[in-house]
Amino acid sequence: GGAAAQAYRFSNIDVQGNALIDDDQVVAFARIVRNRSMSGADLNAAYQRVAGTGFFRQVDFTPRGNTLVITVQEYPLISRVAFEGNRRLNDERLGGVVTSRSGGVYSPATAEADANAIAAAYAEAGRLSARVTPRLIERANGRVDLAFEIEEGAVVEVERISFVGNRTFSERRLRGALATVQAGRLSTLFRADNYNEARVARDRQALQDFYLSRGFVDVQVLSGVTELTRERDGAYVTFTIREGQQYRIGRVSVVSEIGGIDAAPYQAALTDRTGMLFTPTMVESLIQQAERVGYEAGQRFVRAEPRLVRNERDGTIDVELALVRGERVFIERIDIQGNVATQDNVIRRQFDVAEGDPLNPREIREAAARIQALGYFSDVQVNPVAGSSPEQAVVDVQVEEQPTGSLGFGLSYGADDGIGGSITYNETNFLGRGQRLSVQVSTVSSARSLSFNFTEPALLGRDLAFGIAVGLSSTTSSESAQFGTQRLQFSPSLTFPVSEFGRLSVRASISRDELTVTVPYDATPAPTGTDTVAARIRQDAGTTMTSSVGYTYSFDTRRNGRDPDRGFVFRFGQDLAGLGGDRRWLRSTVMAGYERRVFNGDVTLRAEFEAGAIAHQSGDSRINERFVLTSDQFRGFSAYGMGPVAYSPNGTRNGLGGNFFAVARLEAEFPIGLPAEYNMHGGLFMDVGSVWGIDNPGTTCVGPAPYSNCVIDDRTLRATAGVSLFWDSPMGPLRFNFSTPIMSEDYDQPRRFDLSMATRF
Amino acid sequence: CSPIMRYHGYAPSDEDLAQIQVGRDTRETVAQAIGQPGMGGVMEGSGWYYVQSDWRERGWRAPEEVDRQVVAISFDQGDRVSNIERFGLADGQVVALSRRVTDSGPRPSVMSQVLSALGQFTSLGG
Amino acid sequence: CGNQVGTDEPLDGYSAEEIFTRGEYVLENNRRIEPAMRYFREVERLYPYTDWARRSLVMQAYALHRDGQYDEARATAQRFLDQYPGDPDAAWAAYIVALTYYDQIEDVGRDQGLTFQALNHLRYVIEQYPNTEYARSAVLKFDLAFDRLAAKEMEIGRFYLSRGNYQAGINRFRAVVEQYQTTTQTPEALHRLVESYLALGLRDEAQTAGAILGHNFRSSPFYEDSFRLLTAAGLSDQAQGTSWLNDIYRRTIRGEWL
Repeated sequence: GGAAAQAYRFSNIDVQGNALIDDDQVVAFARIVRNRSMSGADLNAAYQRVAGTGFFRQVDFTPRGNTLVITVQEYPLISRVAFEGNRRLNDERLGGVVTSRSGGVYSPATAEADANAIAAAYAEAGRLSARVTPRLIERANGRVDLAFEIEEGAVVEVERISFVGNRTFSERRLRGALATVQAGRLSTLFRADNYNEARVARDRQALQDFYLSRGFVDVQVLSGVTELTRERDGAYVTFTIREGQQYRIGRVSVVSEIGGIDAAPYQAALTDRTGMLFTPTMVESLIQQAERVGYEAGQRFVRAEPRLVRNERDGTIDVELALVRGERVFIERIDIQGNVATQDNVIRRQFDVAEGDPLNPREIREAAARIQALGYFSDVQVNPVAGSSPEQAVVDVQVEEQPTGSLGFGLSYGADDGIGGSITYNETNFLGRGQRLSVQVSTVSSARSLSFNFTEPALLGRDLAFGIAVGLSSTTSSESAQFGTQRLQFSPSLTFPVSEFGRLSVRASISRDELTVTVPYDATPAPTGTDTVAARIRQDAGTTMTSSVGYTYSFDTRRNGRDPDRGFVFRFGQDLAGLGGDRRWLRSTVMAGYERRVFNGDVTLRAEFEAGAIAHQSGDSRINERFVLTSDQFRGFSAYGMGPVAYSPNGTRNGLGGNFFAVARLEAEFPIGLPAEYNMHGGLFMDVGSVWGIDNPGTTCVGPAPYSNCVIDDRTLRATAGVSLFWDSPMGPLRFNFSTPIMSEDYDQPRRFDLSMATRF
Repeated sequence: CSPIMRYHGYAPSDEDLAQIQVGRDTRETVAQAIGQPGMGGVMEGSGWYYVQSDWRERGWRAPEEVDRQVVAISFDQGDRVSNIERFGLADGQVVALSRRVTDSGPRPSVMSQVLSALGQFTSLGG
Repeated sequence: CGNQVGTDEPLDGYSAEEIFTRGEYVLENNRRIEPAMRYFREVERLYPYTDWARRSLVMQAYALHRDGQYDEARATAQRFLDQYPGDPDAAWAAYIVALTYYDQIEDVGRDQGLTFQALNHLRYVIEQYPNTEYARSAVLKFDLAFDRLAAKEMEIGRFYLSRGNYQAGINRFRAVVEQYQTTTQTPEALHRLVESYLALGLRDEAQTAGAILGHNFRSSPFYEDSFRLLTAAGLSDQAQGTSWLNDIYRRTIRGEWL
C-alpha cells in the first residue's frame, strides 16, 4: 500500500510470506532503522529497494501503528543450472554466457534472455540453426532446477559464393580477392569458411576496395544475400555488384583560392598521371605533392581540395586541386588506447605529425594506413575528436590487438630433397616492441637446418631495419652429390628505404664451411683401391672460414605499386669476401622480373631474368661457393643436374655447380575452365639458360660416354618447356610441373615431373 | 637517395606579427590575430610561444633539423604585449638529455616477457 | 573439525557453519582453491541467504582473486555487492573489485585503461567505506596507480623529446607538473622542461623551471642535472651523449625509449 505523507516511526518489523529468505535479510534489503522517524518518501525508497532486488514476485508494505508488516511472494530459487545436448560448446563456456546461477533466483525473463544468449553464442560459431529452450524441474522445498535443452544443428558452411553483375572481372578473379574460402572437402578442419556475418561484411569491403583500386569510381557492392540450404547446414552468399564505368585520369589542374598564393609552382610539382587508372591512392598522392609545395614555402595551412569533373564519353575524370586555407586547428594530444600488448611508441612513431602540429586529415589517414599495415591489430580506428578548445583536436587512436605469434608445422615435398618436415615459430611483434623474431628447424631427407632471425624495424627510432640471421645447416652425401657439407653462418644486416619502392640493404657475414668426402656415396661398388671420389671434389674437401661484406639494392612494385595488376622487380647484389677469413672472392647477382595480369586479371604473364658470377682470388672456387640452380630457378633439372660435371674413376657422375649462371624464365598462368570450387588453374612455362665456369678442371672428358676420372665444362645453353597445374588444396598450395628438355646435354640429369607442396597447419 | 622533408608546428610570419602592437594588444586580441600559442611558459601569466621546425631525413641517417622559428610574445603585469621576439635554430642550445628515468613501477623483465610471448601461440592454418 | 570431509560426497548433513569453516581451513592450507571453492558454493546452494551464505560468497571472491582469476573474482565480488549492499563485508568486496584491476596494471608503455579502472574503484572504496582498513590500503594503492598515469605522460614526453619535437614534449611535461604534482614524477618533469626550453633557446623559462625544481626538490638527483645544465659549466657546443652502440643496447634490447 502507498504511504501517506506523514512521519513514521517503527519499533519492530514483521516479515511474512518468506519461506527461503530469512527475515533479517529482508530487513537488511529495506535498510529501515528501528525507532527512527522516517517520511513517506523514505518508506517508499525502502519499498523500492526490496522490490528492486528481483527476488520477489510481489512485495507489500502495510504500516500498523509502530509495526511495519512486509509481505513478500518469493520467486523459486534455482538449485542447479544444467545444459543438455551441447557438444560443440562445453558447459563451462555456456556457464559464462548465462546469468542464472545455482543459488540465484529463477525468473522467466532471465531464463528467456539466457536462452537467447546461448543461441547467439552458437551463431557466432557458425551454427545459425541452433535452438535453445529453457525447462523447469520442480524440486523439494520450493527449489527448482533450470535446464537448457540445446539442438545444435549442423555448422553452417558457406556452400557457394556467387556474383551477380560482374561484367569486367571473372568469378574466379573476384573469389581470389575474397578471404572466405569456399567449402572444400576438409573444410570442417578449417574455421575460415564457416558462415559469419562479420566475415561476409569484410568480404563486401574487400570487393569494394578491389574495384576502387582499379578505377571503378562508382562501384556499388550490395551486401551478400544469404539463403540457408534446406538442411540449414550451408549458406549461399551472393554479392550483387553494380560496377559502373572504369575511369582514368584526364587533365590535372591547380587553382588557388587563397590571396597571394600563385598556383603555378603547385601545378609544376605534380607528376603527370594522365591516362593512369583513377584510384583513391592516386588522388591522395596528388594532394600530398601539392601540399608539400605549401610546406616548403613555410605555409602550414594550405590544403589541396580535389574537385572532380567527369566526362563519361571518353571515361576520364579531370582533377582540379583547389588551394584553400585550412582552418587553424592543432593536434592537442594523440591518445592511443587498446594497445594491451604493443608499446605506445611503436604506434606513435607511425605518425609523421607530432602533438602541437596543425591537424592535416590526410596525414592522419596515412598514419592510420601505416598502423594497419603493421599487422598487429585486427581493427584500427584513427579519428580526430574535439579537443579542449575549438582550435584544438585530440587524435583518438583505438586499436584491437590480435595474436601475432604463430607456431607452424610444415610438411613439404620437393623432388630434389624428398619429404621434409619443419617447425617454425615466428612472432611479428616480439615483446610488443614491433621486433620480428623467427626460429625455424627443418629436416629433409638429406639436409637439416636450424635458422634464427631477429629484426628491429626502427633502429634508434629511425626508418632503419637492423637484422641478425644465424644459420646452422648440414647435408649428407646423396646420389646427386658425393659429399657432405656443414655450414655455420652469422650475418647482421641494415636495410633502409632509398626511394618510394627502392630499398638498400648492407650486410656482413661470417661463415664456417666444412666439406667432407670421407664416406662417399657409391652407386656401383668399385673395385677396392680405386679412388671412388672425383678428383675435383676431393680437392674442395676441408674446412674454410669466410668473412664477407655485401649489399643488395632492390626495387619492387609488384605488391603495393601504383597499378595493382602490373609489377616490376629488380634486385642487384654484390658480396666481397676477404676481409679476414681464408677465402677471397667477389660474387654479384642480378634479378629482373616483370609481372602483368591481362584479360581482366584472369591470365598472369611473368618474365624473369636472373644471372650471377663469382670471381676468385684465393685459389680455385669450392663447391659450396659456386652457383647451383634449384628446381624452381631452372625447372626440368634436378639439383646439380646441369652444368659442369666431374666423373670419378669408377664413372660416378658428380655435379659441380658453376662460377657463372644465367637463366630466363617465361611463364603464364590461366584458368582451365574447371568449376570454381576445384580451385585449380593451369600454366605454361619455358626456361632457357646455363651454368658454367669451373677453374682448374683437371683433365677434360673426351669421346663418347661412359666417362671416367674427368671433368666436362662446355658452356652450352639448356632449355626446357612444360605445363604446370596449380591446386589450392585445403592442405595448402600444390604445384605439379611436367617438363621436357628441349636443349640439353647427354650428361645432364633432367627431371620431367616435379611436385612441390608446402602446408602449414 | 632523395631526402624526405618533415614539417612540424606553426609560427606566425612577420606579416601576421605586424598586426600586433606592443603595449596595446592583450592576450585575447593576440589570439584572434595569430591563434592560440603552441605552448606556454612554466608559470601562470608567462609568455606565449609559437614553435615551427622543418626536418630533413636522408636514408638511414638521423633526421636533421634544418630550420626552426620560435616566436616569443611576452606580456606585462597588465597582460599587455610587452615584447615580441623571434629565435632561430642558432639560438637553441644542443642539450645532452639526461638518461636518468624515474622508476615508473615494475617494468616486466625481458625474460618474463619472452616466456609470456612464447605462451601465446596460435595454430597457423585456416 | 579434524575429520577430512571427502571432496565429492554430499554435504547435506553438515551445518552451514561447519562447511564454511571447513572451506576456510582448506583455503588457508593449500594453494589450489578448487576444494575450498566447492565448500563455499555448497554453503551458498544449501543455505542460501543465510549469514554463512553471504560470507562464503565474499570468500569465493577473495579466493578467486588470490588465484589470479581476476574476471571471475570481479564478477563474484560484484554479485555480492548487488545482493548485499549494506553488509559490513561490502567494503572488502569493493576492495577486491578494485584489486582485480590494480593487479593487472600494464607497464607504462601499454594502454592504461586498467589503471583508470583501478583508480575509479579505489576512489569508490575510499569514499564509500572511509574508516575501514580497506580504505587505508586503497589510499596507498591509489597514489601508486596515479603515479603510473604520470609516468605514462612522462614516457610520451620523453618520446617526443628524443625526436626533437620539443614543443610536444614541453606540453606533456607541463601536464605532469600541473595535474600530477603529488606524484614522484614531478622532479623529472621539471628537469625535462629545463632541457626542452634550453634546447629552444628560451633561457629564462629554463631558469624558472630550474628554480621551481630547486625550491621544491633540492635533494632530487634531477636538480643536480638541471643545475649543471643551467650553470655555465653545463653549456657545451655539441651533445656528448653516450656512444651509439650503448644507444642501440638501451633502446633495442632493453626497450628504453630514450
